[in-house]
Amino acid sequence: MRRLAAAFQQIESGAEAPHSKSVNELRTLYRYRQLIVALTARDLKARYRGSILGFFWSLANPLLLLGVYTLVFTIFFPQQVVRNYPLFLFAGILPWTFFSAAVLESTNSISGNAGLIKKVMFPAEALPLVVVFSHLVHFALALPILFAAMIVYAALGLATIPATALLVPFLMILQTIFVAGVVMCVASASVLLRDLRDIIANLIQLGFFITPIIYLIDNIPSRLLRAVLRLNPMTPFVVSYQDVLFFGHLPGLADTMLMIAYAFASMLAGFVVFDRLRDTLAEAI
Amino acid sequence: MSSNFAIALERVSKSYRLWGRRSQLATLKSALLKRDLKLAPESTILALKAVSFVVDRGEAFGIIGRNGSGKSTLLKVVSGILKPTSGVLHVNGRVAALIELGAGFHPEITGRENIVINGIMLGLSKREIEKRFDKIVDFSGIGEFIDQPVKTYSSGMYVRLGFAVAVHVDPEILLIDEVLAVGDEEFSQKCIAKIQEMKYRGVTLLFVTHQLDQVRNLCDRALWLDRGEPRAIGDPARVVDDYLQDVSGSAPAPSIETPPAPKDEEERWGSGEVVLKRVALIDDKGRELVALGAGSSVSIEMDVEVRVPQDDFVFGVGIYHADGTCVYGTNTDLEGLMPERLDGNGRVRFVIPSLELVAGTYRIDAAVHTRNGRAFDYRRGVMRFVVGSRVHDIGLYRPRHQWKFEGGIAFREIDNLKRNVPAQIAEAMQSTEKKKK
Repeated sequence: MRRLAAAFQQIESGAEAPHSKSVNELRTLYRYRQLIVALTARDLKARYRGSILGFFWSLANPLLLLGVYTLVFTIFFPQQVVRNYPLFLFAGILPWTFFSAAVLESTNSISGNAGLIKKVMFPAEALPLVVVFSHLVHFALALPILFAAMIVYAALGLATIPATALLVPFLMILQTIFVAGVVMCVASASVLLRDLRDIIANLIQLGFFITPIIYLIDNIPSRLLRAVLRLNPMTPFVVSYQDVLFFGHLPGLADTMLMIAYAFASMLAGFVVFDRLRDTLAEAI
Repeated sequence: MSSNFAIALERVSKSYRLWGRRSQLATLKSALLKRDLKLAPESTILALKAVSFVVDRGEAFGIIGRNGSGKSTLLKVVSGILKPTSGVLHVNGRVAALIELGAGFHPEITGRENIVINGIMLGLSKREIEKRFDKIVDFSGIGEFIDQPVKTYSSGMYVRLGFAVAVHVDPEILLIDEVLAVGDEEFSQKCIAKIQEMKYRGVTLLFVTHQLDQVRNLCDRALWLDRGEPRAIGDPARVVDDYLQDVSGSAPAPSIETPPAPKDEEERWGSGEVVLKRVALIDDKGRELVALGAGSSVSIEMDVEVRVPQDDFVFGVGIYHADGTCVYGTNTDLEGLMPERLDGNGRVRFVIPSLELVAGTYRIDAAVHTRNGRAFDYRRGVMRFVVGSRVHDIGLYRPRHQWKFEGGIAFREIDNLKRNVPAQIAEAMQSTEKKKK
């Protein structure tokens, strides 16, 4: 016991000045940046190895959605939402897919890697972030297809390529912060509450329709409904992508403020929730 | 800050909750709102109860106990995978945990890619891994399979690669859970050699195993955990023995137990069915010795009293330097002697025709125990002896040797040296010189 007392005395006398929690958190993440990069690469490689069409599959879903809604709204029920409807749809579907696929996958990101959490000293926050980054890569790889479509439309004289498209990277940064926060909450909470997976899956289905992706928010007749749709945090993001990629004007001031607010609120919530649940993760899986 | 301990635990407890369906929401709520993981006792299991110990830097510390006694939990707490429910834990230095080898491998990507990711997980940078890459592959013996997806590996290859990565990250503290039992004999030997090498380099080892021989051979101290509580801590041979006594269900109070002794006195334990009444070092003429010259002919003599006849018994002796280094140890079992009968008092003599030791103080351990290591009578440091020598050579072992010189190299004997050289060597030198002439 004397040895023990001496050891602890040593610790107390040499204790470092405590850093604030969030600084430590960010420092940890920085230290593990190589790990996150390597795991993201692993995720992408593992996903495409052994499948013939590989990368194409991550595009299949947005392209399918694009095809179906174009068919429905231009041939089955011809509606003049906007001219060049497929381009409009494409501009909204890609960011939505980034968000929805990342959130959906995050419900399984920690429980699916139980081995890492239980058997290795492993920074659990890396797992949801890997999900975010690998879907960000999918998103980034899909953008050239959208640009190709825009070029085709421009060549046919149907549309022009807006210069505001250059703002897309800024939107992507804000959206990534937003998605990362949501994903960190969902990933950690769904370990403790398995039902969350199904709840999220259904909410995302619903979310697709209460986000102005296949329609314009201004075309909604009910004012109340418009207000409700504006409360959806994905609305300003999708609308801004449509602004810069399709309509060719800058995102509105209100939307920009909302995006920044949502991004930081979500990141903060992500850190707080994850930090509180972290210690239970290894046991609860 | 330099501190001389690597791991310190003070009254560390860990309770697991029992997970029920209904409690899920409550758990989420309480974790989020209160940050408090203390729960009603009826819904938890106490896996570790107020465990305290300090492991010094460079020490090898073994943890033994029955299944479910909390050994792995303890290791996970030290590694930081689990958080203690109460108590204080301090760990000083870079930790690598071998809790499950290859746990971080992804089956779809190649061994090469997995090495990189595993190395990063264990705290190396990409460049550091690239530097060690060849050594890792070489140690694992995976060969050309390194560029195949890990899912094509046999379980042995998987484990070998996992071990190879973990020991090459240069940890300051290595936590090992039952992993040496895996792999074939050859690889298992290689692992033990590697671990010994790391110990020699000053890596602190924390070791969970059921292979009690490993605890005896590798560890400086050991801890016996029983249902989450420390039952014994200290000298590994002794802790292992206490544990074996308990497992074999014999009387809890060893009949010849002595209170813990300071290091320079004898420590003795065992169940007492067979007793080593006297242990002595004797010369050719049967005289007891405490000081002798290097190269003397000696025997270790044990007078054995048999209180209960045995049919499973092993006699062992060990010679240690005063600093604790084992010079030599063996027993009848290791040398292939099958026990036939032990039904009356007798005498055992371990004869050493020439004790080739360097000058210094040494101690003798003598023991009689069963083949699985349960001690009847274990006498640690039962006697000490001093080896004197006129040559101030260093080390422990002095092989019989001579110097030979050819060509343009010659020495002249100095009187002083001549006086200092033991007869054998002087003789050898003279004969060499004669040959040269």
